[in-house]
Amino acid sequence: MSAMTSWRVRGGQLMIIAGLALAWEAAARSRMVDPDVLPPLSRVVTILWRLLHDSNFLDDVRITGFECLLAFAIVVPLGLAVGFLIGESQRLERTLGGPLQLLMSVPKSVFLPVFVLMFGIGIAQKVIFAIVLAFFIVVPTGIAAVHSVPRGLVTVARAFGATRAQIYGRIYLPAMAPLIVGGIRLGLIFVVHGVVFAEMYGSTGGIGRSILTWGEAFQMDYLLAAVLLVLVATVVLNESIQAAETHMRARQGAAA
Amino acid sequence: MSAGAPAPDVVVARDVTKSFATAAGAFLALDRVSLTVPDGKFVSIVGPSGCGKSTLLQIVGGLAAATSGEVLVDGVRIDEPRPDKIGIVFQEPLLLPWKSARENVEFPLTLRGEPTGARQARAQELLALVGLADFADSLPHQLSGGMRQRVAIARGLVRRPRMLLMDEPFAALDEQTRTRMWGELLQIWSASRATVLFVTHSLIEAVYLADEVLVMAARPGRIIERIEVDLPRPRTLDMLGSPALGEMRNRIWHLIAEPQP
Repeated sequence: MSAMTSWRVRGGQLMIIAGLALAWEAAARSRMVDPDVLPPLSRVVTILWRLLHDSNFLDDVRITGFECLLAFAIVVPLGLAVGFLIGESQRLERTLGGPLQLLMSVPKSVFLPVFVLMFGIGIAQKVIFAIVLAFFIVVPTGIAAVHSVPRGLVTVARAFGATRAQIYGRIYLPAMAPLIVGGIRLGLIFVVHGVVFAEMYGSTGGIGRSILTWGEAFQMDYLLAAVLLVLVATVVLNESIQAAETHMRARQGAAA
Repeated sequence: MSAGAPAPDVVVARDVTKSFATAAGAFLALDRVSLTVPDGKFVSIVGPSGCGKSTLLQIVGGLAAATSGEVLVDGVRIDEPRPDKIGIVFQEPLLLPWKSARENVEFPLTLRGEPTGARQARAQELLALVGLADFADSLPHQLSGGMRQRVAIARGLVRRPRMLLMDEPFAALDEQTRTRMWGELLQIWSASRATVLFVTHSLIEAVYLADEVLVMAARPGRIIERIEVDLPRPRTLDMLGSPALGEMRNRIWHLIAEPQP
């Protein structure tokens, strides 16, 4: 894709987002929808701005951010490593592949009460729930990453005298990079999902708890402001990871 | 032998046997295969699919282990890949898609930790030999199938091996490209002075390129005939239609088509 078309696509994407924002604003202002249910975007943004200067809310943001970071830092390396080991070993894959598939299809949310009973409503419970939720997404991505390594390239590397470490570093790693990044992104999405969801179920702090409180008090403007924050933060982080990968790849292509 | 002074053998295989365990019992892929390839010669191995010719090449290249028997290349017993002595070109180019043509040619040198300047110069030299000097910075997906396979040949030769193993390297190319690659391979071969062992299922290709054709049969995989090719060198495309080549081709065809005792 040329730079020109790339910019055109970007422009189109921005137009769609701007269009949605405008439609939201218009729908609320024209009273097509009840502004109590869907307050105008401008109002939600104003409230978000106010919240970002509110020390109570900032404490919630910090708690949620910390929980997400901790769960992310644990589950992504762990999940990718487990996925790598399973993908590399035919025996492990035969044994664990089936149970893993079953566990993947189980909706983890229904176990949240069990998590609360086991780990309370503190930080640990939310971090552990987020890890469990993301783990069964990251592991299959790790397995897929190993499977994406072309066997022929490994044979070539062997034929030209590559050591095991060189095969992993020079063939596996670059070949797996796109799916590793995919795993990191999925890990991020599911960690945020897990933390916020667990906070909404039972928690002493965090954005999720605030969202729940505002929802129960029918303060849609505050609720949407918090949702908007989570949404923007997740999208920005996700796109940064993707941009980092693209940048890495470009450098790898240019340098030796 | 038509050659004057006997050249030392670069490859010696003695009683190479390979059997696989299958559900139906042991499958004998290669049954006591012995062969020699004299220094600087171009030897083709041809045979029906399933005759074990690729397995034999893998064993000679140190990529697979023989069940019994032994292979010596340049006097060294082969039980692991020896890139210092053997370069391999596979059926697919198998280039690293994230590396340029030059970096792909450099790859065997990179694995040895050779200094950047030396390996770039050597890779550039090889790219010039295969006619791709201007495509050093292209990525594999920007090259045609024939060009990719030429990069793979350059990579196979970059460490100045005594011997080049080629496993049906042109099978995936269209006929015109393949015919053009024959001429280029023969030029590269005479410039590099490497000994070539070339596996193919194309009879014409086997005869046209080689000094000697080894004919294999299947079940069990074994060499049934050794045919000296007395076409003069350099080979020209006109020879493809010559009666001499046609006769040899037909002789091999009968050997392969008729059931062997």
